[in-house]
Amino acid sequence: MADEPSDLVQGTLDMLILKTLALEPMHGYGVSVRIEQMSDGIFRVNAGSLFVALERLQRAGMIKGEWKTTENSRRAKYYALTERGRKRLDSETREWSRQVAAIARILEAS
Amino acid sequence: MEQTGGGDCQNSGGVVTTAMSLLHNLASGLRSLFRKEQENRELEEELNGFLEMAAQEKIDQGMSREDALRAVRLERGSIGVSKEIVHEARWESFLETCWQDVRFGVRMLRKSPGFTTVVVLTIALGIGANTAIFSLMNAVMLQSIPVRDPQELVVLRWSAQGRPQSIGHSSHGDCKSTDWGASFSSSCSFSYPMVKEIRGQSHVFSGLAAFAGPAQLDLSGNGQASMVNGELVSGDFFQTMGVGAVEGRTLDLTDEKPGAEAVAVLSYAYSQTAFGGTSLGKTIKLNGVPFTIVGVADPRFTRLTPGKSQDLWVSISQVTALRIPWGGGNLSKNDRWWLTVVGRIAPGISLAQAQTATSLAFRDEVVHESLLKATDDPQVTLLPAQKGLTGLRSETEEPLFLLMGAVAILLLISCANVAGLLLSRAEARRKEIAMRLALGAGRMRVARQLLTESLLLSFAGAAVGVLLSFWGATTLASIVVANEGSRTYLDAKPDFMVLLFAIGVALVTGILFGLVPALIGTRANLAPVLKENATGVTNAIARGRRRIGPGGVLVVVQVALSVIVLVSAGLVERSLTNLRNVHAGFDTSNLLQFGIDPARTGTYKEEDVQNFYGELQRRLTYLPGVLNASYSSDPFLAGGLWTSDMKIEGRADKSTVEVQMMAVGADFLTTMKIPLVSGRPLTSGDITSTHDVAVVNRAFVSKFMDNRDPRGFHFGGEDSKDKQYEIVGVVGDTKYDSLRKEPEPTAFIPLKKSGAHFVVRTASNPTALIPAVRRALGDLDNNVPMFDVLTQNERIEKQLFTERLIAYLASLFGLVALILACIGLYGLLSYEVARRTKEIGVRAALGAQKKDLLRLVVGQGLALVAIGIGFGLVGALGVTRFLKSLLYGVEPTDTFTLLVVCALLLLVGGVACLIPARHATRVAPMVALRYE
Repeated sequence: MADEPSDLVQGTLDMLILKTLALEPMHGYGVSVRIEQMSDGIFRVNAGSLFVALERLQRAGMIKGEWKTTENSRRAKYYALTERGRKRLDSETREWSRQVAAIARILEAS
Repeated sequence: MEQTGGGDCQNSGGVVTTAMSLLHNLASGLRSLFRKEQENRELEEELNGFLEMAAQEKIDQGMSREDALRAVRLERGSIGVSKEIVHEARWESFLETCWQDVRFGVRMLRKSPGFTTVVVLTIALGIGANTAIFSLMNAVMLQSIPVRDPQELVVLRWSAQGRPQSIGHSSHGDCKSTDWGASFSSSCSFSYPMVKEIRGQSHVFSGLAAFAGPAQLDLSGNGQASMVNGELVSGDFFQTMGVGAVEGRTLDLTDEKPGAEAVAVLSYAYSQTAFGGTSLGKTIKLNGVPFTIVGVADPRFTRLTPGKSQDLWVSISQVTALRIPWGGGNLSKNDRWWLTVVGRIAPGISLAQAQTATSLAFRDEVVHESLLKATDDPQVTLLPAQKGLTGLRSETEEPLFLLMGAVAILLLISCANVAGLLLSRAEARRKEIAMRLALGAGRMRVARQLLTESLLLSFAGAAVGVLLSFWGATTLASIVVANEGSRTYLDAKPDFMVLLFAIGVALVTGILFGLVPALIGTRANLAPVLKENATGVTNAIARGRRRIGPGGVLVVVQVALSVIVLVSAGLVERSLTNLRNVHAGFDTSNLLQFGIDPARTGTYKEEDVQNFYGELQRRLTYLPGVLNASYSSDPFLAGGLWTSDMKIEGRADKSTVEVQMMAVGADFLTTMKIPLVSGRPLTSGDITSTHDVAVVNRAFVSKFMDNRDPRGFHFGGEDSKDKQYEIVGVVGDTKYDSLRKEPEPTAFIPLKKSGAHFVVRTASNPTALIPAVRRALGDLDNNVPMFDVLTQNERIEKQLFTERLIAYLASLFGLVALILACIGLYGLLSYEVARRTKEIGVRAALGAQKKDLLRLVVGQGLALVAIGIGFGLVGALGVTRFLKSLLYGVEPTDTFTLLVVCALLLLVGGVACLIPARHATRVAPMVALRYE
């Protein structure tokens, strides 16, 4: 089962994208690959949900896109974190850790 | 998940961020609407790149290009699907589908122009009627006062737990009047010294204006003499209102000083109509006193109190020069309460503080002058002027609410009607809808499409309705204005509020009539619909026999609502007939009336006036076509009433009683044809004589004199020094101010003052004599204006205005409701007959006679009508009690009216059933069966 890609927890994709982009600007495919790699293949993002999220973040001013050429000399839109996106990532990360810790405490209570 | 703490700061920041991202989102959404092509191209390129890159990885690992692409499509989704997903996530795609729905809806509606026209007209009727009445309500109740910052204005109203002692009180219809009792009194009228006292509280009010009026002023010096509406205002009136002059200047506090130059400010409208806009600097005579026109007010200042417009404004200090009796004709009297006061509270002062300060000033003044006791708790309330200045509102509020109710019912009927039409249309479109559902459209999606169509219809109807209402509202307003007097100001043109109302009603209407058909129409039961043709006759019969379907319910609703409107109309109509047939106690036909007041011109002294009246009376009597002429202090049935508290000699109870008084000239009783019961009438000798005599009516004798012969007895004021009248005759009872009131004890005394209403009894049509009467007055003195020139019957019609208006409109609405309900019934039955063609064919083939088939259809229709009437009668019983104040001589549950309405509906309903029923009898069995 562990090898099968699983669905993302509702509402976490935005955070993961922001985190990915916090390292360096990246195009859509790069984002999905990195999420997959960093999660050891547990999360797989399909194109539809990825681009919905990218567009949503772009419209909210969290990220901005720019057309560039890839190392394979292919044209791709690179997304970069904005200042606002960075702030959001920080607050979401904090909130997420708080919640995870709380859930863990509940689940571990016996 | 809720945060458990420490997030307050972040939260408020979060709100800002959310708002910001919302704006961002909106902006980019709008941008992408306009650059849709480019956005889509970019998205496609991105997706393409995404899949290519994913495939490249697989190719690098040794897969063939084709296999790699297929694998990627399976793993990550195809370009098409992904594009769709992204599209649907955008909010603007919602707008796009809406727009699609609208275009599709327009196409569908254009396909059936007949249906569309009927529906749009039906809705236009309902929404138009509602918008028209709302426009009037808006004009009377909602429009804000056209002055600077109207929401800041307050009007002062005093109240006390007792009534003020020996004051002269007058009001001019600005505020709602209350009946005073021994333990409560309240009004908006103040004395001038009180206004000065309150004005002294300068820290509380940044502006305080007092006014009274309109006074009917005799204007000469600008062509023929005429009566104008002049308002007496304090010097700071215009400053307080924040109203400037378009020409010249407005008034200021120096104009209020005693002995100030006599100046007038004209309203823009009056300056335009009477002077062609060139009034500035001219001198006019008001009540014989020369006034200089120093300014014309801002054209936007059309009114202060709803419905009251003024031709000109003069300072209150001119009250003495103009010989106006208000305030005792003198500003210094603190026992004359006649000024309405409006103010602006100073910045930084709360309403409560201002109220306390004003109350204190008022209490000090009235207690000090012993007009009220401190224990009466005299106090002043500050009301928002928008609410406190009622004017025309107080008398039109009730009829307007009634009419609003009537048009709301009308709108419900048109909704039910349209819902019925949509329902049968939905039935007709069942295959189309079932097909769409079968092809995978969601039920909500299809319902939304249907709802869009209803909203399209309702907005088209609203657009036509607003046009209709424009015409309706201005017509109604002009009728009201014509009745209230030409100077009434009523702006019933649709404004922003009215449009907002129409849009709101259209929205609600569209959902109201569209929702049920949309839900029923999309009820997913596809199989039987799609194979409709296989439905057997037995099935059809079974369906025909079902209980009343939704269409039937709608017809029942329409009939029931029509019954309510028709019963109301019938009751008011009957009251109107009753009122018109009431015997007033005098002959109301062929009677011309007009008012004159020669003393206002300044050239007549009180004693000359009697000679003037006598001479005019003589000249009028000699006119060809005139039988008699006389005059009285008050006209009959005009709403005005003069009462006096009198002590009556020979009455066991020594306390004073209220007597209605009317001062009259010689031959008045003969002219009015009031029968003399005993004694003698008043003669011209009584008018000049110093001996005070009176003629009383029967009610006086029966109520106060125990039916004894009253001749020789005296009555008069409580103080023995007051005038005491000797009763010399008894006449029949008459109505005085109102047709609705039973005759009260009345005394007629000789008229010895200026200000009278002439009555001219003519042999034929009295209006034909108006020019001759005018000439007779002009020959005598061209400077005395005639006013209120009306026949007695016109006066009565004027008094019955509300009843007439409601009766007329309710009948009109009732008729429309009846027609709509019948169309609804007709539509339903026609549809049923068409749907049951096969069944009817089988019945005919099996030997059913024409009359059986007729009975089948008509029976079904009349059953619906009967059920509707039943509900309607119950509803009517609940509703008609709101009409009570309008009714006269008829109970809200009047059996006759109810029966007539029932019969009418059954009759008209029957006719509506006949046409579809005849269609049913014409069904040829062979054709119907072959149809299968």
